[in-house]
Order: sequence, then structure tokens, then C-alpha cells
Amino acid sequence: MMAARARTKAVTVFAVNVLGALVLFLGAGACRATGPEFGGQLRPVWNEQGANAHGPLAEAATLDPAIAPLPRSGATLETELRASGHGLSGTVTLQQQRLEGTEAHSKAWVNELYAAGGSGGWQFGVGKRIVAWDVGYGFRPNDVVQQEQRRTLLTSTPEGRPLLMAEYFDASTAWSFVIVNPGKPRAQRGAEEPAFAARVYQRDGALDWHGFARYGAHTGASLGTAAAWVANDALELHASLRYLNAADSTAIDPAATGLVRSNPWSDATVRHATQALIGGTWTGAEQVSLLAEAWWDGTALSDAQWNDWNQRNRQLAALAGTPAPRSAIAGNLAWQATAFGASSNLRRTSLFMRASVTLDKWQPALDILYTPADAGRTLTASLGWQGDRVRVDAGLRVYGGPGDAVLAQVPARRVAYIAGTWSF
Amino acid sequence: MKAITHRIVFAAFALLAAPAFAQDVSALLKAADRYRVGSENMQVETLISVFNPDGSPDKERRYTVFAQAKHQSLVLMQSPAERGQKVLMLGDDFWLLMPSSQRPLRITPMQKLLGDASTGDIATMSWAEDYTGTLAGEEPCGEPRQACLHLSLSAARKGVTYQRIELWIGKAKHEPIRADLYVQSDKLAKQALFVTDKPAAPTMVTEMLLQDQLTSKKETRVRYLARKEHSVPEAWLNPMFLARNPALE
Repeated sequence: MMAARARTKAVTVFAVNVLGALVLFLGAGACRATGPEFGGQLRPVWNEQGANAHGPLAEAATLDPAIAPLPRSGATLETELRASGHGLSGTVTLQQQRLEGTEAHSKAWVNELYAAGGSGGWQFGVGKRIVAWDVGYGFRPNDVVQQEQRRTLLTSTPEGRPLLMAEYFDASTAWSFVIVNPGKPRAQRGAEEPAFAARVYQRDGALDWHGFARYGAHTGASLGTAAAWVANDALELHASLRYLNAADSTAIDPAATGLVRSNPWSDATVRHATQALIGGTWTGAEQVSLLAEAWWDGTALSDAQWNDWNQRNRQLAALAGTPAPRSAIAGNLAWQATAFGASSNLRRTSLFMRASVTLDKWQPALDILYTPADAGRTLTASLGWQGDRVRVDAGLRVYGGPGDAVLAQVPARRVAYIAGTWSF
Repeated sequence: MKAITHRIVFAAFALLAAPAFAQDVSALLKAADRYRVGSENMQVETLISVFNPDGSPDKERRYTVFAQAKHQSLVLMQSPAERGQKVLMLGDDFWLLMPSSQRPLRITPMQKLLGDASTGDIATMSWAEDYTGTLAGEEPCGEPRQACLHLSLSAARKGVTYQRIELWIGKAKHEPIRADLYVQSDKLAKQALFVTDKPAAPTMVTEMLLQDQLTSKKETRVRYLARKEHSVPEAWLNPMFLARNPALE
């Protein structure tokens, strides 16, 4: 009965996805002349995920397959609908997903819904909105409002933050003042934390300067600066720096040894941290682009913390040959995966390189993320094809490195995807 | 001694005459520009159709271009595949704005050339401000053949798409007829043909046909659908303002 109800719901949402797209497509033509604008995209995606045979989650699954969900392959259909006019803008996403071995499930969310207006050089906005700052590609220390996830396989519209915003613009300067997550509890963590943020931007010929400040309800103050400079016809250089009084993180209870009864990983605070990025893009006459970046994230777990993590993984795995309950060992190993979510970067130092070329409608690209501390790496190869209304993307991401490397122990060893995007 | 004297007199004459010729070329370029732009501050609706070497249609893109004084241009992509993308060009400085990121990306002149059609082809409307040149001579050109002036132009600033242009304009009315466009390596990148509204008494260029000579060998037809005078507020030329996705039309 429950399964039949779930199937009915899934079919209904699928119909809403397709009908929504059609209504918006037809509406786009009908309403363009009257002012409001409509648009959107329909995107079916197939994700093939290969679970890692190495790492704490894999060890846990070997001992007790039901202890934690492993990465699953599956199909997703997303419909993004956009509308704007009369000072209001909105974007919603409808998603239907079916992962292998599970029922289809559906959800919908509002990416953006805000009112905006202005007078003179001032602009004001209120609502749920994407406000993306900073200059990097692989990591953005000063993206203090949106705190967008970087290096995703497919570009998609992020979910904005509730905010109040005032900005002032002239020809070469911009001032932005944002109250983000107003009304949320002060204890909310990460990007959900209520905060006041400000940015000043100054254009100076080939150089863009940015200054940033943020005051979080419980993390306090942080200050940052960034610059992007076009050095010559082919080369762009950028850099970003941020000092934080405190940042939300996750840490293990130092008293936790051997098997414990509850997750020893809990919320923690990193004090007096620095984040920095330097990078550049070179583009040649043959439409080849190279991007190189290096960054430091002082809010990520330290080398010592990862060494302790590896040591505890080995200790827990060694208990499998003892009379200790297998489910308890599996549970403790699965809790070790909590460390993967401690910050937006796994290791403090990262190197990133990306090469891409534009060949008419085709765009192949290859990138590597490398963590020097443990020689961990993520390799991604992708191929995009852009038509008039349709775009097709396919790619493969493989995580690897020596056995102790953090990137070699993440839950998925490889992710392959193919996606079609129909814009209307 | 007599020969040397003649050479000195000739050189002096050439030196004195050079500014006059340069001034003439500048006036000719201004006259040719008037067929493409009617005023310093314009809004131009542009349709680009790309054709494969066999003549079959490849793709179509629509753009709104705000071409403003002092080498300032804003290009809004209007086709479904690109809707929401913007390219801002302020002199030699360029930014790309993608709708999904809401964050302006500082781009190099080389990155500006990536994509379906060079934004420089769409947004660059003024030769007089961007190039200096010489009058190479008089020769027949166009279909039907007519008397033309051949101008050799060199970029006067670094941000332009083409470093060198060989331009042929009508001798009588100075309307642009054809051009050979060279990139920085001095390779011939494109050949352009200009189509006017009334060939016998032209008042404006309605189409530009670009034949790629470098890689794809494709033909691009740039059609100017509508033109009107439009000065944009100064905030529209601030990349951070554009990142807010304001209504711009």
C-alpha cells in the first residue's frame, strides 16, 4: 500500500515536472511582451556511483552491511522554473529521484524568492537570495553569505539564503551590506548562522579589489580581502585572504579510545584561523584554458587530527578479530565518516589544476585536486556539448591516493554521470 | 647632392603630409562608423546565425548590445541556451556574468574570444576610436563592382578583438563594403562583408557576413534587427551591479 502510494506520488511529481516545464515554455512566449519574464530548464541526470572498498565506511559495511547507507547510483529529474517582473524574482526546483534499491522520492525547494528595488545609486532587497562573493574557482574563503559548495560535477543553481540587503553602486565602486539568516537561532552553524556581512568593491583598471567583513552571531568577526588582475591578453591572476576569529567545525572527543557508545565526533570551534587562495587562468589563441589554484584552509582538520583519525580507523578495524560485537565496531567505524563533513576542505593545503578546450560545440575538460599532506587526489574528466536549446554533459570523477590519504577513503571511489539540459 | 636634396624635400613633404592623411583616414572612419552606429550611445538588437561550411544552419543566437561612449559595451545574451549571461566591456577590461553564479568573473581578452560568436564582433561598433590607419589606395570592390578606398588599420589600444584590419569603403559615400580581420599573430581570422539597406543610397548597415578563415570555416551572419539611442545609467556598467540580475530592458 505504502509502495503504491509512493509510486503514485512519484508519477504525480513527474507529471508536474513535465507540465510545469511546458506551461513555462508556452508562457515564456506569451508573456514576454507584457513585462514579466519566465524561463527555466529541464534536466534528467544519471549518476553511477561506485562505493569505495577502502575507508571507515567500507570497513563498517563489511562488518554490518545495514550500519550505514553506501553511495547508490540513480536517476534524477530536475525542473528549474524562473520568473521575474515588477520587482519580484523567483526560482524553484522540482526534483524527482530514484536511487537503486529504493523507492522514488520527490521534493521541491525555492532557490530564490525576493523583492528588489532601488533609488538613485541605492538598491535594496529582501527575501531568499543567492549572494555570491569572492574571486576563486576551487575555493572561496570570502564567500561569507552564500557559502556555496565548490567543484560540483554539474553546475546548478544553489539554494539562496534568507537575507536583507542594501547596496550602493556608482561607476566603479560597490558597497554591500547584508543581514543573512535573520530570525534563525544564534546557535545555528555554518552557512545557517545569523550574521551581518559587508563588502566593498573597487575597480581600478585591470585590477578588481574587494574587502569583506562578517560578524557571526556566535563565531564573531572575520575580515578578508581579494583581488583579480588581468596581467596581459592571456593571463588572469587572483588571490583571496581571510582571517577568522572563530569557525564552526567538528572534532572527536579526545577521551574516546576503543569502542564507545555514542558518536565521539561533535560540534567544535576552530579559533583564530586563516584561509588563503592564489590562482590564475591562462587562455591561449587556440581556445585552450588552464586554471591553477593553491589554497590553505585553516578551518579544516589539522594533519595531527587526520593522523589520529587514521590511527583510530586501524585500531577499530583490528577489533574485528576479537570477541567485540561486530555491530559495535561497525558503528564506531561509521561514525569516523563524520570527519568528512568537518569543513568545506578535507585537508588544509590543496592544489587544483584544470585544463579545458573549446572545440566548436564541444568542451572537454580535465581537472585534478591534490592534497600534498597525504598525496590524495581527485581526478575529473568531463565532456560538454552545447546545442541551441539542449546541452549534454558527461564525466567521470575518481578519488584516490595512498591508503592513508583522506581522499582515498571517502565513501564513493568513483562517480560517473550523464546529464541533458533543455533550456526554455 | 641633387639626389640627396630631392630625398630630403620628399621626406619633409611626407612628414608634413602624414598628419593630413591621418586626419583624412580618421574622417573616413568616422563616416564609415555612422553606417553601423547612429550615435555614441546605442541599444542594438542583434541576431547571429551561424552556418556550416556546406551552408546548413548550425545555430542562432540573439543579443542585446548597449554600445556606449568611451569604449564601454554591455552584451546581454537572449537565446535560451545562454539567457542571463552578460559580457561587460569597459575599455580593455572585461567581465563575464553567468546567471547561475551571480558573481562577475574577470576575463582576459583571449577569454572574450571564446564561445559561439566573438563578443567583439557584436559589441565593437567604432573603428574611428579604436584604430589608426593609412589610405592604402583606390581599387574596385564589392558586388556590383564600385570604386572603393582601401584603408589599412592598426589597433590603437590593446583590448580590441582584431589587431589589424584591411577595410574597403565606398569612395563616394564611404559606406563599409568589406574587411579582412587579423588577430594578434597577424593571421587572417575572418573576412567580413557589409550589407546596407539601400545599395544605391545606403543609410545604414543591416547585416555583416563573417567568413571564418582560421578553424571552423563557418559563416556567421550578424543582423542588426533594431537600433535606438540609449544612454544607460552608470551603475549598469558596474560588474557588481550586473551580478544582482537587475531588469535591464
